[in-house]
Amino acid sequence: MKLRISRVAASLGVTVAVAAPLALLVYQSFLSDPFFDPRATLGLEAYQYVLTSGDFHRAFLSSFAVSFGMTAIALPLGSLLGFLVARTDLPGKHWLEPWLLVPVFLSPVVLAFGYVVAVGPVGFFSLWTKALVGTVPWNLYSIAGLIVIAGLTHVPHVFIYVSAALRGLDPAVEEAARVTGAGPWRIAFSVSLPLVRPAILFSGALVFLLGFELFGLPLVLGDPAGLLVLTTYLYKLTNLLGVPSYQLMAVVAVSIVAITFPLVYFQRRMVGAAARYAVIGGKGRAFRPLPLGPLRWPMLAIVILWLLSVVALPLAGIALRSVVRNWGEGVALAEVLTLDHFRGLLQYPNLVRGIANTLAIGVLGGALAVAVYALIALSAHRAKGIWPAWLDYLSLVPRALPGLVVGLAFFWLFLFVKPIAPLRTTLFSLWLAYSVVWLAYGLKLITATLMQVAPDLEDAARVTGAGPARIARDVTLPLVRFGLIGSWLLIFMMFVREYSTGVYLLGPGTEVIGSLIVALWGTGALDLISALSVVEVVIVGAALLAALRLGVRLDA
Amino acid sequence: MPELVAEDIAKRLGENEILRGVSLRLERGEILALLGPSGSGKTTLLRSVAGLERPDRGRIAIGGKAIFDAAANLEIPAERRGLGLVFQSYAVWPHRTVFENVAYGLKLRRMPNGEIKTKVEGMLTRLGLKNLTGRYPHQLSGGQQQRVALARALAYGPPVLLLDEPLSNLDAKLREEARHWIRQIIKETHSAALYVTHDQTEALAIADRIMVLDQGIVQQEGTPEEIYARPACSFVAEFMGSNNRISATIAESDGRRARIAADGWSLWGELHGAKKAGDAATGVVRVESLRLADGGGDNRVRMPLKSASYLGERWEYLFALPGLELRVWGERALPPGEYWVAVPPDALWLF
Ligand SMILES: Nc1ncnc2c1ncn2[C@@H]1O[C@H](COP(=O)(O)OP(=O)(O)O)[C@@H](O)[C@H]1O
Ligand SMILES: [Mg+2]
Repeated sequence: MKLRISRVAASLGVTVAVAAPLALLVYQSFLSDPFFDPRATLGLEAYQYVLTSGDFHRAFLSSFAVSFGMTAIALPLGSLLGFLVARTDLPGKHWLEPWLLVPVFLSPVVLAFGYVVAVGPVGFFSLWTKALVGTVPWNLYSIAGLIVIAGLTHVPHVFIYVSAALRGLDPAVEEAARVTGAGPWRIAFSVSLPLVRPAILFSGALVFLLGFELFGLPLVLGDPAGLLVLTTYLYKLTNLLGVPSYQLMAVVAVSIVAITFPLVYFQRRMVGAAARYAVIGGKGRAFRPLPLGPLRWPMLAIVILWLLSVVALPLAGIALRSVVRNWGEGVALAEVLTLDHFRGLLQYPNLVRGIANTLAIGVLGGALAVAVYALIALSAHRAKGIWPAWLDYLSLVPRALPGLVVGLAFFWLFLFVKPIAPLRTTLFSLWLAYSVVWLAYGLKLITATLMQVAPDLEDAARVTGAGPARIARDVTLPLVRFGLIGSWLLIFMMFVREYSTGVYLLGPGTEVIGSLIVALWGTGALDLISALSVVEVVIVGAALLAALRLGVRLDA
Repeated sequence: MPELVAEDIAKRLGENEILRGVSLRLERGEILALLGPSGSGKTTLLRSVAGLERPDRGRIAIGGKAIFDAAANLEIPAERRGLGLVFQSYAVWPHRTVFENVAYGLKLRRMPNGEIKTKVEGMLTRLGLKNLTGRYPHQLSGGQQQRVALARALAYGPPVLLLDEPLSNLDAKLREEARHWIRQIIKETHSAALYVTHDQTEALAIADRIMVLDQGIVQQEGTPEEIYARPACSFVAEFMGSNNRISATIAESDGRRARIAADGWSLWGELHGAKKAGDAATGVVRVESLRLADGGGDNRVRMPLKSASYLGERWEYLFALPGLELRVWGERALPPGEYWVAVPPDALWLF
């Protein structure tokens, strides 16, 4: 009985938290003025304005080109990486494996900034290269630069799904091809990868979708070249017009959602298709990885090169930039070393608060979010009927909403709904927006954890006489304690690296490192940005090490 | 020249010695069954020959050409050994049609398309799959998938065919039929076959020669008749057929024959191995060797009937004395009472 009540409460709560911001966005997009303005009337003027604007068209095309280009890079590389790690005798792969997922936990805005200071026009590596060969043979500030970096940093998103699918494959189907006379590449292209096609399509759709939601990378890398994508167009709209034009922002947000929603739906369909294809079998005999032969070392070199370019290069850039007074042509590194930037952080109360808030929202907010996700997941756990299906679809909605858009919607909601207005300047508003943005990820983590409890254990309690709530409290939750701690660590990292969701909610009391970096980027305060970035990377890095030590699976 | 020679193959995984020096020879066109209980190392040996597992010790040659030699650190990869392998799980490729599955090996060998078509269709016709060429594996029954797996392995004419319990996933009826046609097909294609199974009936029916493996060691090798009728050790004796097992002490021995005895009974049997009076021994006698006799005589024991069960084509009686339990087959129901059981001395093996 108690569970039924909690199920109703959970379903109402989640529905409101997901639907309210979306509804407000859609409503606002059909108004002529901001929704709180008494003069606002219903109409399509905003759509007319945006959809006929040249800037919007260019932003749309750029977004499309970036999505397409980065998918074209991430999909083959991620699939290759998945095959190499899951199936072959790539040297040192067990040692390498945790590193392959690191880019997922790095904030894109930090990475973007790292690329600027490492390989931008006057970046460290650019100038060192110039000193060697006389010129900088690349241009970071171009759509090509943006596509390459977005593509390389999204390789793990493909790798996670493809390697997991490959691991579920019966090795005998590959061995059969081997005995028949096929070498490793032949096997990859004629057997392994075709058999995990649903996972490849799924992750391709995911990367394409994430392309439309990119914000940090185009903001930092596209800006100097005057390149706008949909999200940065939304962000700059106020500046472009000089007045806050809520209805236009809403139209852009709705347009983004109109593109991402079908993609999310398509992805959902792919998950169903995957089950039909599965060749899960074998007796768990430890199979012998496919020998790569002479290609072992070249393949390792490719993997390491990729890792260096997406982790080492930007992080080295940030670390260096945070300890030099200034940097440019003719500056000798040894003469400009300093720790002033870190001391500088302490002189700005809002930055200090930002760091404290980031930790608070990660530690406490993360724990609270895990508790809420666990309640929601438990109310659907092994339940049949309409509620799990509804929850499944509901949790898809935020996946189609870029953090920037969710943050905007919640900002308006807190302006609009008087009873909750006082909460706008507290961390609660930010926590709510974060929790909605990461709803699907969190639910997936917790659901997977709950599923590890053998149904028999729960049924045994039921037969003994325990009701569903008691089973959850006495059997399921104690058994998944460790899994919940792992989920909390992962959510902690996601909340710490989050930046776009906080952009519109940024105000006194709600500063976090991510949104502060975005705001500072507009002012060009590179010293502070680099110091803040280092702080963020150190926090995430510590959590990552803790997670690895505890054996938490990062590829959830 | 033998088609396949493996010498002194040894493999350990951690503490577990899976193979401890196994040697085998396979002549051209011959079917050799590798028979043993589950966990005896059959699959490991087969996979070592295929190149999917690397033994720690030993040599393997095909058609006189070395493909593996641990001492010389020679290991030809599986894809260049040119063998055929039928997996226990079939491992047919679910994303390829029956035709594409079977044609794959020929494609890799760059055979022209026309020839591939003739060859694959010939193979499929022979295996009764002619009407299924365009189907995908999930549209086939288990028995049909099994045939596809066999066709795929045979298509490119490998000199040696390796089969790992190919019938174990079929139901009993299909399995009995399959024994006949599998042997026939292998014989028709003149390929030599190494056939792994844990089912003695299957091994007896299909193989020209049987090698019994236990705990990574070859226990006995010979024709099916030899293995069944003249087992070399108690393991082989008990592994084959339906048996009565008697634990007793040797009462007297002439080196070739010996007598075991206990309270109220005494039996002569053939002695395997050096045993003298007073030694403990294990007697094994096939159920079908025992008869009921009308009265006393040489090597007969009078025993009370404990129970009788009806098995359809015959009855099985269970007789028991202290230290001696015998199962005997007969044609009719028996009333309770005492009966004479005749044990032919050459059918009782003492180990
Ligand atoms: N990867 C492995 N690691 C450890 N032991 C294994 C592994 N594979 C097989 N074994 C063990 O090796 C022994 C022989 O296995 P196998 O060759 O599959 O036997 P069979 O095919 O005769 O049943 C078994 O005891 C099995 O448990
Ligand atoms: Mg086996």
